[in-house]
Amino acid sequence: MSVLPWLVAAWLFGVGVYGIVSSRNYVHLIGCLSVCQSSSYVLLLGLGYRWGAGPPIFYDHPPGTPAVDPVVQALVLTDIVVGATVTALLLALALQVHKRRGSLDPQELRPLDRRGS
Amino acid sequence: MTGILSLVPLPVVVPLAVAAAMLAAGHVLPPRLPDVVAVLTALGVAGLDIALTLASRHGTLLYWFGGWTPRPEAVLGIAFGIDPASAAFAGFIALLFAATFVFAWGYFDEVHATFHVLMLLFLAAMQGFCLTRDLFNLFVWFEVMSVAAFALTAYRLEHSSIVGALSFTVCNSLGSMFMLGGIGLLYARTGVLDFDAMGKAVAAAGHDPVIVGGFCLAAMALLIKAAIVPFQFWLADAHAVAPSPVSVIFSGAMVPLGLFGFAKLVVVIFAGAEEILAFVHTLLLTLGCLTAVVGGLMAWSQRHLKRLLAFSTIAHIGIMLTGLAASSGAGMAGLLAYLIGHGLVKGALFMLVGVLLATRASVDELDLRGLGRDIWPAGVAMAVAALLLGGAPLGILHGGADLIAASAPRAAGPVIHAAVLIGTALTGAAVLRAAGRIYLGLGPDPGAQAEAPTEEEQEKADRPLWLMLAPCVVLLVLAFVPADLAKHAAVRVVPLFAAGHPSFPVPEPEAGATVLPWISVLTTVGLACLAFWGHRLPKAPRLAAKLATTPLLGGLNRLHSGLVNDYVVWISLGFALFTVVAALCR
Amino acid sequence: MTPRWRTLLLVLAGLVILPGVWRVAMALPPFGAPTSPYGQAVNALVPSLRHVSNMVSAVNFDVRGFDTLGEEFMLLCAVTGTVLILRGGRGEDRRAKAGRIAGRALEPRSDATVLICRMFGVFTLVFGFYVTLHATATPGGGFQGGVVVASGLLLVYLGEGYRGWRRIARAPVLDGLEGGGALLFALAGLLPVVLGRAYLENVLPLGTVKDILSGGLMLVENVGVAFAVAGGFAMIMVEFMEETRATQSEVEE
Repeated sequence: MSVLPWLVAAWLFGVGVYGIVSSRNYVHLIGCLSVCQSSSYVLLLGLGYRWGAGPPIFYDHPPGTPAVDPVVQALVLTDIVVGATVTALLLALALQVHKRRGSLDPQELRPLDRRGS
Repeated sequence: MTGILSLVPLPVVVPLAVAAAMLAAGHVLPPRLPDVVAVLTALGVAGLDIALTLASRHGTLLYWFGGWTPRPEAVLGIAFGIDPASAAFAGFIALLFAATFVFAWGYFDEVHATFHVLMLLFLAAMQGFCLTRDLFNLFVWFEVMSVAAFALTAYRLEHSSIVGALSFTVCNSLGSMFMLGGIGLLYARTGVLDFDAMGKAVAAAGHDPVIVGGFCLAAMALLIKAAIVPFQFWLADAHAVAPSPVSVIFSGAMVPLGLFGFAKLVVVIFAGAEEILAFVHTLLLTLGCLTAVVGGLMAWSQRHLKRLLAFSTIAHIGIMLTGLAASSGAGMAGLLAYLIGHGLVKGALFMLVGVLLATRASVDELDLRGLGRDIWPAGVAMAVAALLLGGAPLGILHGGADLIAASAPRAAGPVIHAAVLIGTALTGAAVLRAAGRIYLGLGPDPGAQAEAPTEEEQEKADRPLWLMLAPCVVLLVLAFVPADLAKHAAVRVVPLFAAGHPSFPVPEPEAGATVLPWISVLTTVGLACLAFWGHRLPKAPRLAAKLATTPLLGGLNRLHSGLVNDYVVWISLGFALFTVVAALCR
Repeated sequence: MTPRWRTLLLVLAGLVILPGVWRVAMALPPFGAPTSPYGQAVNALVPSLRHVSNMVSAVNFDVRGFDTLGEEFMLLCAVTGTVLILRGGRGEDRRAKAGRIAGRALEPRSDATVLICRMFGVFTLVFGFYVTLHATATPGGGFQGGVVVASGLLLVYLGEGYRGWRRIARAPVLDGLEGGGALLFALAGLLPVVLGRAYLENVLPLGTVKDILSGGLMLVENVGVAFAVAGGFAMIMVEFMEETRATQSEVEE
């Protein structure tokens, strides 16, 4: 039970990478990348948790009541917002690819054959 | 906070503020103002960094953001640590940016100054990356660098740019996730994020799978950025499609920064963990040699000039990694000198390719055959750069190479020297071959091969030649700073870079080591001559050479398939390799 | 590599990595055990040092404010990149009329949609402002509030239609909001430097705990972040929405 969060994080990452490797559609690939991202959030937030502790907001409870780690929460908070914008960037790229070639399949879209010597 | 200390946050904050202001005022900026502002900002940051380098030469300066100096309970705040090596590298990066902005003058003629905003954010992130002493702060600047790079790669909005940017983004995003995971593991075990505090905790923790796991993840992230085998596949695609000014920064600053960051982590955080040092010493030495050879072979087999230069960057990064992995002061000093020397030469080379793109509208070596005769000054510069890359015993690059060669451990010495020789000679020869073919028209007539379909390449053509060549020449001149000076400076800064490392003299070259650079140069010139006049050799040796090299080069080229799914498989194979070696190094 | 080889190699790599993951997971501190002195110290010290009750905001805007500056500008980079890629690929020939896909009818907005969106759009915007302003007292802050405001703008689009929405969400205004917010954050940090202290040091009056106006410099940074995030996300929405507009040639048909 006490290692479950770490294994969940590893599983999420593995599933995400499998999705990327077997992907035939760029939008699907970007979604799998988001799954990988959420694995790092699960790991970080799991590391900060404390049994029987409340949120690190001392509005209703006086400072000194047991609270979870606010540092990892702050790290993950900013990361989620930034992750959303990077996903937007990737989706914009996918949109442009689709407009130019009508396809989202990485296999069909690889750059023109590169010639060696 | 008085005097020089109050200047410490400025190398990061000034470019950030200028970029934000340019973005906010995007609709009302007059045409040439972004260029001027960008150059002045970059030069200002370079000046600040030089001042900080000089101020820190007797001892590292520590600056705590928000006034959060360390407390007895825990180190709460984020620190910048100014040591001469970091500040000097940051200053070099700022200078490279200034040269690039001059090179890109008038290139980007759009209304919103998007290029300049992104480049200034890129600059600020690199400054923060060099100067920080906090692991999550390092990650933040690493991410900002990455995102700016993603946007800049796709700048030209052609099909290949977008696909290249997609591969780049996916691979580097996986790297960022690795880093975040590594930070999580290290934070779980040590409870702090500050470098020095974490270093003490790691040294006290002894053998611990969590720390080894955290190290592996963080190392993989930085080595993906530094394009070490088997993580190097994204680099050539990204370089080939980015605009030339952006490629200058990629090869000259961004990729070496991955290695610089990794070096900093190893010497500051993991200096006390023996199993990790053993891991670095064995696996990374091997990977460095492999990278040098693979990069050299791939560079030799390219006709797309930007891909050629990208693979040569990979080869030289491999050489730098052997210096790092030697785990000695001389190796670290060699790494630092080589980073700067290589950055100068590679930046100049990418600018020269940009000149060809602007004046001759092609980046294919065979298409350009003989077309460079009118712009022969660029040819001279390219040949000079090729010889420097090929190991000529002059300048900063040679100083770094000497130190790295001297630091090679006794047992693996011959293998390392051979790998370095192959990487150096092949890359130098490839560039020399290109220079000869383009500017002198040497080499056999390619005939039908030159007509093979290629994508239309063109960069903005109406910039004056002298404006594009001037920063290139400045970079090359700087690369000729005497090798001895570079060696002495590098050796002097290592004790402050790796705190606690005793100071040491410049190592004396071993007997026979002085002949290595000459062998390298001769091999470089020899290979280039082979490319030009090899078709006149008798048939038998030619056929034998073809039989030996074609399967190897063809196979390597097929591996670089351009497919992001393949690249991610290689990353996971690299992960598996790291896991195996980490388990063995216990 | 063929797809089969790829999957095979991936599974092979996974099998090799699995024992390593297991070892690390076993060696990590058990879930729920208090571990980090850093977090404990923040919870213990910061309420009295900075007069705020929201520790997460305190970490974001004060203790690790420099990180947040970087994250803020990362957002700026990503939004600028998205705008570049979409706007540049589109050209200038889009018109303010919805694009048509042949064979698919263009539905007019129903009255129910308009009514609900008008009510909830306004409510969401107000809620976004509320979340932003209560950064230092209750759960909230610039990041969260900015995203809520941006989603409120999306409800406004659904209720008012494209033309009405673009009257509110103009590109120059959003640019100014985004860049201005980031600039505000960067300059707020310079204020203490001018006064001879460290960058981002909290030199403004700290107020009382649980009050909206507690935290000093954190509030300025918070507003900067809220502007930048709201402007950035709204910008992304505008650009994606523009992709659905008809081109000039389609309008003339």
